[in-house]
Amino acid sequence: MKNSSEWFKNGSIQALLVLNALIMLYPLVVMVLSSFKKNAEIFTAPFALPESFGFDNLQKVWDQTNFVRYMLNSLGVTAASIVLILVFGTMAAYAIARYEFRWSGAVLMFFISGMTIPLKLAIIPLFIQLDTLHLVDTYAGLVLVYVAMGLPSAVFIMTGFLRTLPRELEESARIDGANELLIMLKIMLPLARPAMVIVAIQNAVPIWNDFFFPLILITSDDLKTLPQGLTVFIGEFTTDWGVMFTGLTLAALPITLLYIVLSKQFIAGITQGAVK
Amino acid sequence: MRAFAGLLTAATIAWGLSAPFTYATDISFWTWRQEDKAAYNELFADFTKKNPDINVKFQSFPDENYPTIASTALAGGKGGDVIHTHAYGWLEQFVKSGYFVKQDASNMPSLANMSADALLSGTYRADSQVYSLPFASQTLGLFINKDVFEKAGLKAPTTWDEFIVVSKALKDKGVIPLANGLGTSWFNEMFVATFTGPLLGQEFVSDLKSGKATFKDPRYIAALTKLLELRAYMPTGFEGIDYSTAGQLFISGRAAMLAGGSFDISTYRAQNPKLKMDFIAPPAAKVGDIPQATKFFDGGYAVNAASPNKEAALKLVNWMGTKEFGDKFTALLGNISPIKGVDVKDPLLAEVAKLNETAMPHINVVYFRFEKPTGSELLQSGITKMMSGSITPEQLGGDVTNGLAKWYKPFQGK
Amino acid sequence: MNDDRRRALISQPQRRSLWILFLLLPAIVVMTLFVVWPLLSALRFAFYEFNGLSPSQFVGLENFRKVLFEEPFSDWTYNAFCHNVIVFFALMVFENGTAFLIAFALLKGLPGHRIHQVIIFLPVVLSSVIVGFLWKLFLHPMFGLVNGALALIDIQGPAWLGSESTALGSIIFANIWHWLGFPTLVLLAGMQRISAEVIEAARLDGAGDYVLLRRIIWPLIAPSVTIVCILTFIGSFNWFEIPYVMAGLTGSPGGSTDVLGLYFYRTAFGSVSSGIQDFGQGSALAVLMFLFVAGFSFVGLRFLRRREIQL
Repeated sequence: MKNSSEWFKNGSIQALLVLNALIMLYPLVVMVLSSFKKNAEIFTAPFALPESFGFDNLQKVWDQTNFVRYMLNSLGVTAASIVLILVFGTMAAYAIARYEFRWSGAVLMFFISGMTIPLKLAIIPLFIQLDTLHLVDTYAGLVLVYVAMGLPSAVFIMTGFLRTLPRELEESARIDGANELLIMLKIMLPLARPAMVIVAIQNAVPIWNDFFFPLILITSDDLKTLPQGLTVFIGEFTTDWGVMFTGLTLAALPITLLYIVLSKQFIAGITQGAVK
Repeated sequence: MRAFAGLLTAATIAWGLSAPFTYATDISFWTWRQEDKAAYNELFADFTKKNPDINVKFQSFPDENYPTIASTALAGGKGGDVIHTHAYGWLEQFVKSGYFVKQDASNMPSLANMSADALLSGTYRADSQVYSLPFASQTLGLFINKDVFEKAGLKAPTTWDEFIVVSKALKDKGVIPLANGLGTSWFNEMFVATFTGPLLGQEFVSDLKSGKATFKDPRYIAALTKLLELRAYMPTGFEGIDYSTAGQLFISGRAAMLAGGSFDISTYRAQNPKLKMDFIAPPAAKVGDIPQATKFFDGGYAVNAASPNKEAALKLVNWMGTKEFGDKFTALLGNISPIKGVDVKDPLLAEVAKLNETAMPHINVVYFRFEKPTGSELLQSGITKMMSGSITPEQLGGDVTNGLAKWYKPFQGK
Repeated sequence: MNDDRRRALISQPQRRSLWILFLLLPAIVVMTLFVVWPLLSALRFAFYEFNGLSPSQFVGLENFRKVLFEEPFSDWTYNAFCHNVIVFFALMVFENGTAFLIAFALLKGLPGHRIHQVIIFLPVVLSSVIVGFLWKLFLHPMFGLVNGALALIDIQGPAWLGSESTALGSIIFANIWHWLGFPTLVLLAGMQRISAEVIEAARLDGAGDYVLLRRIIWPLIAPSVTIVCILTFIGSFNWFEIPYVMAGLTGSPGGSTDVLGLYFYRTAFGSVSSGIQDFGQGSALAVLMFLFVAGFSFVGLRFLRRREIQL
């Protein structure tokens, strides 16, 4: 008796979960399918499979827009930002975690307080600041802003992780006469690799997806990133739904593929900080 | 053979010598009109033909972000050498900060080619000087799909009563009478201006300017109340129909009429070359009234005061005020250039130009966009509420008047 | 061991200081230039009147007064703020509530629970711009998928994003679809940390699902709940991308989807077709938003942390 009611309950839970999975996935499936359709097909048969899996829309996107360029820009900006966040963040975290010095607590607080501040609200002076440094409408300017935004959480995560590493390794190397730089590079940092992966993914997703900063800091079409380019693109093709869906699909593709391969690290990276 | 070789050598040397001596200046033109790229590039090529030492680069931005991008860039002493500006109040904030070069007869002789009301759109109120050379007049009126009307055996309406009769007939035949929706706020404001214009008349405008009337005036409330009648003839879910969907409904023939702007004539033609359309004055209050479309000047061309190539930029803008430019501009873009004596070859545009002679000004744009809160902000947010019935026309008129009274002296205390 | 270290370091204190400085300097310089300085400037700008686009004169608290107490600005601020509050509560109930139930269902480890975690988290990695546009197309009153589906069962769907009564709800729905995976997996991780013995013991005592949830799981995942609440709060009051894409800068229709993020952007930068810009008022708004979010997060965090201990 109990078994059958248990079975019924689990069955209904399972059914609800399947329903939920459908709600999460179906819109994306429609997005991909619609990218093969023409306007008329989308409007009259939104649920049907496309009449043919042609590449007309893709051809249009390829020929008439800067899409590939936007994608490469996003890739470059994201990669450069991540590298700098990792280098600067790890350096600072290493100093805070592995050495005792007078202001270490204050320095850590300085970084942590940066985590709570929405930099968007300071966009006006930020622009003026970048401009005096001649960094408006350059990759460098955008990258530096992302680095500044990513550093607080990077320093926080890396400090926490580096503190857990045992002192012994470092001490014995020191006694063997290794200098501080070598100890850091050869002994300590290889151990911190898992934390670095977390930091990289945690920053890569919001940077790749960011829309607000390029909107204001980048004006040349050749320098635009993908989400920003997508709005330009949609502005030009508002009436061609097939092309719009193609654009959305293409924009979603790289990160979706990467996510499917590395889903575990993605989930860990993004929920890091919330899960301890 | 030898002679040919010699000639070739000489030509090569001459080319080699001459190349380093032409100091070509590259200047950039910033605009929000992404869709006009091809036309401007053609126009700029003409300019470069005449001025081989100046190349112009067309750079465009999404219109919603254009103010942000332009103002942040100008604040940092950057931005294009020539800036495409909107008119009236929008322009004023930039002029106040000294971002644009003052234009007068000495540096901009082609100002003489402009009419007085056009120049007003580029004039800074505080010093009465022009800072942006007007580029186009826009007219708001009623698009008519001739095929749909013909098939239904109907004639385009000229008065409000006719409009209602025609709309009822169209609706019975399963055609959406009026394509407009309220999903895009700037298009809402145009919708209001188009239909209320003929009901209000020029006298109401002068009363607003003198402070004799406000938007609480019974004439304005009556005009707003009339708008409520239109709801029955707009598409289902009209609250959510945006600007581009409304356009689609019209050009696809699913809707018979659309209150819109002359700036879309060329767009609609491009999207449906088979479309037979007309652009007429919105319905008049009664038989025999003069046709009253709504007119405003869209903006102009300004020279960035921080430009390192001011000479070249001024030269370009001055050229953009000549009849040569105006003729080709009007032909290519289907916008009416405000330059005097411009040829309007296209028959439909010629009709628009005729409507302009008796048109009403776009009240909010011309008079109430100078300070916060702007008339546009107030009306755009209020009109959807009124059309959905959550506020009355009286409340809307009151809200707009009270908001404007913050800075518009003639309304204060009323 | 510690003595060894200290000895080694004291022998060359200056080199050590330089080394530490070298490690810290890049991060501190970048943070100062691109976070600290702009924020301090934004604070300063809030007290200035702007002549067009550059600060002209010090006006004290005038910008704050306008934003908070002078109509119609105060109405708009209040209108936007109310929407943020609605968004926060809607997300707390619908997003986090659903997430909690799904997490509990996933905890059972039924077949397919791993793949479900991957699926539910997929929209989280997509850009808000993509999600916003996608749902904007689906919710289109005439050609959209949603009303297309409703038409199949003979229901005429409303203009979701166009009518005042459904617009905000539709955007909140898109937001839930976008972010649902995040609280789900955070809460699931919290639940998974509860030791199996505790749950087993409760089961043996005859506790059903409800009792288990109420008495064991709910109190034990309090830290995860705290984090989810605080992040939802911060997210709700900094909401920008999705409403920007779906409703536009003016929070159409009729300001019924206006939120502080959009209002700030519009106040500071103006918009082509309606407003003119005012960096002073915009900065004042930014400062108020920051104080509000930071203040309430801090108070909320203390309250929730205390609750964690009591539970």
